[in-house]
Amino acid sequence: MSRKTRDVLSVEWVKLELIRTAYATRGGLFAKMDARMVIGWYLMLAVAPWLTHSFATIIALFVITAVSAALARVGPLVLGLFLFGFVTDFAYAFLAAWLFGGDAHTAIALIEINLKLASVSLASIAAFVSLDPEKLSTGLLALGAPELLAFGVSYGYRMMPILFEEFGIVFTGLRLRSAPGARGFLGLRALWRWGTYAVQAFYPIFLNTAKSVRTTVESLETRGFTANQGRDLRIARLSIGTLDVAVVATTAVAVVGAYALGAQVALG
Amino acid sequence: MSAIIELDRVSFRYPGATRDTLRNVCLTIEEGDFVAVIGGNGSGKTTLCKTFNGLVPHYWVGEFAGEATVAGVDTYDSSVAELSGTVGYVYQDFQNQLVRPRVRDEVEFGPMNFGMADFAERGEEAMEALGITHLADRFVWQLSGGQAHLTALASVLAMRPRVIVVDEPVAEVDPAGAHALYERLTQLNREHGITVVVIEHHAEFISQYAKSVVLMDDGAPVWHLPVAEAAARADELATHGIPAPQIIDACAALDVAGAPRTVAEAAALLRDAGAVPVGASSAVPAEAGEEAAEPARAVVTASSLSHGYRTVAGDLMPVLHELDLTVDAGDRIALVGGNGAGKSTLMRLLGGLQVPRGGTIVLDGVDTRSTSSARLADHAAYLFQRPEQMFLKDSIRADVRLHPAGRGRADADALVDHVLERVRLAPFADRDGRTLSGGQQRRATLAIGLAMSPALLLADEPTASLDVASRDSVIAMLEELSGTIAAAVVATHDMHLVAEWATRVIVLEQGRILADVTPRELFADDALLAQARLVPPQIVALGRALGLDPVPLSVAEWRDAVAPTRTEVHA
Repeated sequence: MSRKTRDVLSVEWVKLELIRTAYATRGGLFAKMDARMVIGWYLMLAVAPWLTHSFATIIALFVITAVSAALARVGPLVLGLFLFGFVTDFAYAFLAAWLFGGDAHTAIALIEINLKLASVSLASIAAFVSLDPEKLSTGLLALGAPELLAFGVSYGYRMMPILFEEFGIVFTGLRLRSAPGARGFLGLRALWRWGTYAVQAFYPIFLNTAKSVRTTVESLETRGFTANQGRDLRIARLSIGTLDVAVVATTAVAVVGAYALGAQVALG
Repeated sequence: MSAIIELDRVSFRYPGATRDTLRNVCLTIEEGDFVAVIGGNGSGKTTLCKTFNGLVPHYWVGEFAGEATVAGVDTYDSSVAELSGTVGYVYQDFQNQLVRPRVRDEVEFGPMNFGMADFAERGEEAMEALGITHLADRFVWQLSGGQAHLTALASVLAMRPRVIVVDEPVAEVDPAGAHALYERLTQLNREHGITVVVIEHHAEFISQYAKSVVLMDDGAPVWHLPVAEAAARADELATHGIPAPQIIDACAALDVAGAPRTVAEAAALLRDAGAVPVGASSAVPAEAGEEAAEPARAVVTASSLSHGYRTVAGDLMPVLHELDLTVDAGDRIALVGGNGAGKSTLMRLLGGLQVPRGGTIVLDGVDTRSTSSARLADHAAYLFQRPEQMFLKDSIRADVRLHPAGRGRADADALVDHVLERVRLAPFADRDGRTLSGGQQRRATLAIGLAMSPALLLADEPTASLDVASRDSVIAMLEELSGTIAAAVVATHDMHLVAEWATRVIVLEQGRILADVTPRELFADDALLAQARLVPPQIVALGRALGLDPVPLSVAEWRDAVAPTRTEVHA
């Protein structure tokens, strides 16, 4: 056995990918937009696939969202998880249908519903990869969400790297200090052990975090969070520019085009 | 000067507590003062400071009696929000005080919450006053400890407070960072007339920066005196757990009266008193082990070690460059260098927690690439920086037992008892580590490391955020334990630990070994100290200012060195 430092598919990589995704550090087209417009853009693409049965329209919508995801510079981890989910979901549904006497038609129907789901997923991935916490929370405020929810969203993001770090350290501690064992068949025993450590890690993390949150809550109090007079100031920071209008307009045209295409071409 | 904070017979009892935490406190703080609040653990320092901004009694609702007036407002009739405009509070664990993703959002958070239209201007002004404007767009989790501390300070400064309270500023930042923070506080105090209140254990910071001192004991102030008078009461301070600064001890050792605030003052004072020790070199024994007859066994060898991390942006950030190092049996190594010099990375590699990108490490005869980190834990014990990260179980005993019992050692229970006895934690064995005091927590982590019976002990900042007494006890414990383990490597900013414990100092800078010397050589080399941004302990600096050779590394060595002179002075 030879250990080496891996740059992908390692715990460190997962952590970095999550941070890159959450904080929109890759940039991308939608990251420059106003949060309200991004949310609006997303809602448009999230609803559109459900209003049609035309296979051509669905494929066109899927292409639109796939292009959006590319423009949003979605990272490999999120994209990989999405593809994995998409493929396995389809495979298992088809297998089940086939066992119960399904045929090619079932497969087409399954592809249709899965493509709808995939379009919505890709749109949401593209949207949320592009919103950093501050933008997202201000956007939610502007759309009338309560202050506490908006703050919770941004604070959750703030805690994420910290919890990840903490988990990594506690997990390492458990791995170093607990009884080592064999890897087992296909590494299953090692996997089982790691699963146990992951669960055991929650006890120290909970207690350590609970202690630190006390300071956070006190400090929120002293900094007027409960005084809660900043809503208008926050919302006033948002502004809708030409890029926002252009992106939403282009997408709207593309969606209308997809429906027009569906009316022209009959597939399946 | 007029009073900004006035407490009149204030008492406070936390809900559910059996006795008062504050007892009949009468205290006046003048506007523009720089006050250090000192006192042992549990003397009520923090609770006292929380009455200033109304957290007591509005957030911590307990039994409150007496009258507290801040800037003319009775805190009982006010609210935390209103008082926060006057009093800013920076916590000891300031990292948890940062709640927004980026520095700018964080600094503007307070003014924005209070609906102040000029929030951006206030934020800008606060960041400028503390020299952190260049950090405005950083994410808070990217900041170093010192930068995060300044950000927390900026975020309360943006409220334009008249009083700033800072709880134990030295606890979680390196000495250079702590001095930087104190310089900023002094500047705010001098130029903007802001009243500063610090809770502080370290006498050297108090005597250098504070104007007056409040000594708390058992929930009430013992006295409130100008700093010079307070410093002169060294004995009284020592009984309350605040050992005098080394320079004052040094003067006392020569029977020279006075309370110098800086090393230069102490040197001048001793010269004026004619108490300059000369030719005392024979008094310090030659360092043992320097002329070892045979080469010692290598515990860990690193050859052409290179390592780096991926950043969020995706590039590889090199941390260590082609580094060679051998740790021999009997070595007590202090690894020093600024933040980001690669100390922690080197330690993690030496302990086999990670493997290097380039080069090899042989730990106790085993190539770290060839076996898992869990197996390597039999050879090296790694103690994380924050003790609570090592408390994985619900009692100290279970934590200490985890490793030996898991490896099936028959004598596990006896070993656990023995180890707990050695670190003097047997009475607390069944408590969760998190409920212990700072010093006890550190000793508990040492126990965990010892029970692993490692050849190599690696400890990350074992004396950080400890008060002076606990720090000394941890240093003493490390000293005692050195017989049990073959070698120890400690990453530290604490120059007292370097001076009093280490036999070998490795100075890291930007991933390279800048020097590999004895503590005495390190402290004698001005160029090296400056390059590594290290500040020697006061006693070393004083010894050098007076031309002592060899320089004393501890007050005990100073006493030995000056003993002959002392008789001359009085002859």
